[in-house]
Amino acid sequence: MSAESICSDAVRFSDERLAEIKTLVARYPSAQSALMPVLYMAQEDFGYISMDAQKMIAEVLGLRLMQVREVVTFYTMFREQPCGTYLLEVCTNAGCMLNGANELVAHMCDSLGINVGETTPDGLFTVTEVECAGACGGAPVVQVNNAYHEKVTPEFIDALITEKRAEGAE
Amino acid sequence: MTSLFINDQEVEVTPGTSILEACRENGVDVPYFCYHPELSVAANCRMCLVEIEGWKKPAASCCTPVSEGMKVKTATESLEKDRQMVMEYLLINHPLDCPVCDQGGGCKLQDYAIEHGASKGRYAEPKRAVVNYDLGPFVNTCMTRCIHCTRCVRFADEVAGTGDIGILNRSDHMTINGIVEEALESELSGNLPDICPVGALLDKPSLDVSRPWEMTHHNSTCTQCPNGCDIQIESRGDEIMRIQPVEGSPEPWICDRGRYVYDSFRSDHRILEPKVRRDGKLESADWGEAFSRTSELLKGKKVGILFSPYWSVEGQTSIRLMRDALFPDARVAYDLHRRDMRAFAFEEGLSMTTAQIADADQVVVLGCDLRQRLPLLMQRLRKRGNAGKPVSRIGAMNYRTNMDISNDAIIRPRDWPAVIARAMEQVAQMGKTAAGFDAWVGAVDGRHEAGKLLADALMSDSCALLVGEEVRGHADAAALIYGLDLLMRACGHAEADNDGRNLIPEGMNTQVLSATFGDVRVSAGELFAAASAGELDALILVGSDPVGDGLFPSAAKAALARVPLVQVGAVSGQISEYAAVQLPAAAYAEIEGTFVNMEGRIRVAGNPIKSLGQERPLWKVMMRMVQVMGGEVPVVNLDELRQATRERMPALAGAWDASEQDSILVAPGRNKGNELLPVSVSDSFELDVVSRYSLYREGMWARASDLLSEAGNIHAMDDVLVHPDTLAKAGLSAGEHTVHTFLGEASYYIGVRDDVSPGVLFVAKRGVGGDLSDVSAASIKGGSQ
Amino acid sequence: MAISSDPRQVKQICFDRIDIPHVNTLKVAREHGAYEFLPTVLKDFDTARIIDEVKTSGLRGRGGAGFPTGLKWSFVPRNTGKPTYLLCNADEGEPGTFKDRDIMRFDPHLLIEGMIMAGFALGVKDAYIYVRGEFLHEAQVMNAAIDEAYAANLLGDDILGSGYSMNLTVHRGAGAYICGEETALIESLEGKPGRPRFKPPFPAVEGFYGCPTVVNNVETLATVPAILKFGGDWHASIGIPNNTGCKIFSVSGHVNKPGNYEVPMGTSLKTLIEDYCGGLQHGSVPKVVIPGGSSTPWLTAEHYDTPLTYDAMMKAGSMLGSGAIIVMDETADVVALSRRLAHFYAHESCGQCTPCREGTGWLKRIMNRVESGQGTEEDIQVLGDAATHMAGRTICALADGAAAPILSMLEHFPEEVRARLVEKAA
Ligand SMILES: Cc1cc2nc3c(=O)[nH]c(=O)nc-3n(C[C@H](O)[C@H](O)[C@H](O)COP(=O)(O)O)c2cc1C
Ligand code: SF4
Ligand code: FES
Repeated sequence: MSAESICSDAVRFSDERLAEIKTLVARYPSAQSALMPVLYMAQEDFGYISMDAQKMIAEVLGLRLMQVREVVTFYTMFREQPCGTYLLEVCTNAGCMLNGANELVAHMCDSLGINVGETTPDGLFTVTEVECAGACGGAPVVQVNNAYHEKVTPEFIDALITEKRAEGAE
Repeated sequence: MTSLFINDQEVEVTPGTSILEACRENGVDVPYFCYHPELSVAANCRMCLVEIEGWKKPAASCCTPVSEGMKVKTATESLEKDRQMVMEYLLINHPLDCPVCDQGGGCKLQDYAIEHGASKGRYAEPKRAVVNYDLGPFVNTCMTRCIHCTRCVRFADEVAGTGDIGILNRSDHMTINGIVEEALESELSGNLPDICPVGALLDKPSLDVSRPWEMTHHNSTCTQCPNGCDIQIESRGDEIMRIQPVEGSPEPWICDRGRYVYDSFRSDHRILEPKVRRDGKLESADWGEAFSRTSELLKGKKVGILFSPYWSVEGQTSIRLMRDALFPDARVAYDLHRRDMRAFAFEEGLSMTTAQIADADQVVVLGCDLRQRLPLLMQRLRKRGNAGKPVSRIGAMNYRTNMDISNDAIIRPRDWPAVIARAMEQVAQMGKTAAGFDAWVGAVDGRHEAGKLLADALMSDSCALLVGEEVRGHADAAALIYGLDLLMRACGHAEADNDGRNLIPEGMNTQVLSATFGDVRVSAGELFAAASAGELDALILVGSDPVGDGLFPSAAKAALARVPLVQVGAVSGQISEYAAVQLPAAAYAEIEGTFVNMEGRIRVAGNPIKSLGQERPLWKVMMRMVQVMGGEVPVVNLDELRQATRERMPALAGAWDASEQDSILVAPGRNKGNELLPVSVSDSFELDVVSRYSLYREGMWARASDLLSEAGNIHAMDDVLVHPDTLAKAGLSAGEHTVHTFLGEASYYIGVRDDVSPGVLFVAKRGVGGDLSDVSAASIKGGSQ
Repeated sequence: MAISSDPRQVKQICFDRIDIPHVNTLKVAREHGAYEFLPTVLKDFDTARIIDEVKTSGLRGRGGAGFPTGLKWSFVPRNTGKPTYLLCNADEGEPGTFKDRDIMRFDPHLLIEGMIMAGFALGVKDAYIYVRGEFLHEAQVMNAAIDEAYAANLLGDDILGSGYSMNLTVHRGAGAYICGEETALIESLEGKPGRPRFKPPFPAVEGFYGCPTVVNNVETLATVPAILKFGGDWHASIGIPNNTGCKIFSVSGHVNKPGNYEVPMGTSLKTLIEDYCGGLQHGSVPKVVIPGGSSTPWLTAEHYDTPLTYDAMMKAGSMLGSGAIIVMDETADVVALSRRLAHFYAHESCGQCTPCREGTGWLKRIMNRVESGQGTEEDIQVLGDAATHMAGRTICALADGAAAPILSMLEHFPEEVRARLVEKAA
């Protein structure tokens, strides 16, 4: 599993990552079980999971590329394309819908000037709608890069956008 | 047995059977898409729903096991409504383009739509469109028609072992897909269109060519490899359009070679009329002229005869009869891959059925690229591997197998004696021995660790040895096979019902060959040497191409440069440039004939397709030859010929009695008393030469097929390969190098591959390697450029 | 268990320690009784006794199906020569459900302790918690707690010198509701797409990598320590027969105080909403209550008094499910709700079964039209047909769940649907 043998591209796990993967694999009856955690690592390291990354992962875990492709495309949290620095995921399922989620999405899109699923031209924000986030008691729920925010108001969104834009401008 | 009621009828089935299978066994029709008897159960189409008394909901019959006293209903009003709805779900996104789809007339979706569907679709939304992908030269994809039954995915995974087909995405975006940049690499890919119940995967070569209802069907036997699969030939007029497997035959699949070779039947390479050479050119002639020319060349001469095993049993007998009538001293060769013609301790052919091999505790493959040589046996081994049963292998290369080999050793051919001796020592230590062991072991100097793998496998209760061409083609093959025979006897595997001695033959009908020709056979090499030495006046070649195939191309060329050639056969091949006369003989699909496969199973073809030209069954050509040259014609009809065959081969006595055919298995012979010890060879060349059998290019039929040639290019490796260390030791790297053999020196591009054994020069493309095919040893002398 | 050593004073089981600050740390958790009884279990209990206690307790699976937990454990074959696995289902994807999240982020040691006890009973060496991918924070809290537990020899080799060893690993899903279905969860944990397997074979016999496997919900496993400590009889005395113990209800929608409430089984729906959740946002009776997560059939005002038990909910025509109660008051747009849920199921179908793959997409597209006023009378017929013939005809119950909102809408509010069709004409 040496780094050289895997891939000469930029899409390559660091030696620390490879060591981490080795311990991870040992926790399961078979290396294939480590696929999802390893995909998360790739997404963290490279921002998204490109075809090159998928090939590299197949090699690291001793899987066929198709086995990796099947998993990457089945699960919605694995991204094959880059997204904005801040991924805003709004739950619009029942609990949140009943508490204003659709209006919140409309507000976000208006403020950012994009449609659902799009990224702002400055590459800062992507807005998506997601299925029930499992926090309906705090509806409406927005995840910002996987951190939960509950009972979210339009004001909160505005503040967030302003803050991140200011940071981005620095 | 479990008894249950299907539609109030009591039936008995094996416990654990699914309801669907219980229905099928008892002739009750239940519609299904995703179920396939040879594949694992997926239960995803939900078409096979049945009602079970006491169950609240309908059950999928394909995945529900029977239980004692169960009451099943397969045809109720409510099930009809369910099926109608399943059809409606399936059709909402289906393009409904039956008029332009090849599957039309043979489509489950279309059939069931008529039988179970509603008269009118109610879907008012936009339909799904799906991108296609590349499944190689034989399979066309039209994925918008896909109904997601996943049969192809399971086939790729479980049978072909390639696994390049998968399921991407989910929900109604789910698609069946291949890896876009990689074409499917499978020698069984032609089965995909067969298992696809709709028109998503279609046979590419026959795309848009014809429709099922235009075809006539002929059952026959494939002679493209010794497995001898049952095939169904579909023809339109006298043209072969397709070859397909036969439902209910021992092997549910056929390989791409057997399927797409049909292309050569109508190729320019066919010999469809008699020809004679005039002013250096082969030109059409009538039968009369061709035979008188033949007579001129052969009558009263010393001739050598070489033929190919793909002829029917009757054809082979007729060659023998012709020889005896006209050339009673003639030597006969039929094997282009055997150097050592001494009788083997166990003759060629399998002593086990492929089903028994699949069940054995241990299987060891000795010197064989089984995936290329016998793709269907490989498929069974893969299945057994998936079930956790071991398959081990010793050979000159880690041939790509598509399965996990449990134990693997790469060796040079010259190591075989040391491997066997090592195994003998180990089993002897475990108290297992046979008379002759000591002498055999004593004749061998070294020991090779790969022998441990062999010995370990032999210690199990049942062990199948699959002895391949690296052993069979070895210069000292008879001694090696005797050594293996001793091992099998020592370990108790040689008793009648537990016999694992399987020597993979070159072609069909081998058991018959040794009975018919055992007393007169020589190696093809000897035959050519005799011709070159002036001992022969002419050669008769019956459907064989020693220039394009086998281990003797240079010897063949040298011989043919010296003596005239009478060529009899169905395909012209590379030797046609040497032929003085060509006599057309009908191909295997065009005759009534009998075939014995490597397991000894008998098939009699009785419904041939029409010949394209003037070709005649081989036996008629042979008898006519006897007649024109003034010999006494031994048989005048097929019955007499079969009687003559029976006399030589008593095991075939019942072959033409329909009631006995199925129970006959012709066992390969045993030769006691050839106690042959290995001889040590001097190492004047440091590399052993091994050449590869490729199912896409070996044999004149395959080379005459454009389809197979195209696939062969996809699967091609560098022509000549060595292990990187082999070159590194000489301070060289991949490139043009001079290779020295006893035939002289020549320059080749030499590539490297880790999976070739060090010390082996691997000829990946026979023929192209030219003279290299003839030799068994060579050395590399450094870069020529 | 913690707060009180007198079991009669225990009002909540899984949430007993939930309000204690920092109870997610091992130190605080131990101060409040965590792992207190574990040594006794490891020393004095054996498989038969544990399974007996759990059977006696009447505990039914809290993941949705309500299958008796002790019975499930008793199906696991012993001495198969294969390892047995314990998988904790923390996928919590059913719309409306958010209870397991609170157990994990506030009292992770309760779950760990329950898993050690269950693992011990079943002879498990390797156990996994399958947490839905979105719960990154919860996974981190669990991992921190697991690390502490390893350090304190509560996990790993020879736990507390008992000779019993168990490893526990958190595994994150990645956005697929279907992975909450137990066989899909197993597939997913094997590193594959989460597509449910048909049964038989049942996971208890052939589950994770073909080995005997028990899958239990977080809440189910978190109930085990109390049962073993206070006895099955004690647990059986709470609630009503066949519906024993407490249950966490995740209440959301049009209530004033949405949230998780753990109450004894048998408490009425109305009591829960009015006494615990501060009543409805508008009006006095709900228009629609989905009592057990979005996959369960809808109830209306008529059933407001129904006791929260498996049996009573079944009788009322719905299911207790995962205990996720979505409440809608008189302002609710049932067509919009149904459309949204149709969208959810179409998005989440794993795609393998024909009726579910094609049916969910079809329902979604028709509902889109109906909601936007472009539906026709025929659509009503098609909706009913397409939903009816999905339910109960597929490998898993997702298709049943997808049919439920459509069929409920058609059953209870046909006039509202028709009113939308009229909009088209207008
Ligand atoms: C579509 C579907 C989704 C499910 N989602 C969950 C889930 O998120 N969490 C859960 O615990 N059980 C879920 N279940 C139920 C599980 O299949 C299984 O019954 C449960 O985990 C068993 O645990 P228990 O016996 O402790 O309830 C789901 C079932 C179905 C059919
Ligand atoms: S019902 Fe739906 S989600 Fe469940 S297995 Fe079938 S296709 Fe997948
Ligand atoms: S044949 Fe049973 S579901 Fe397809």
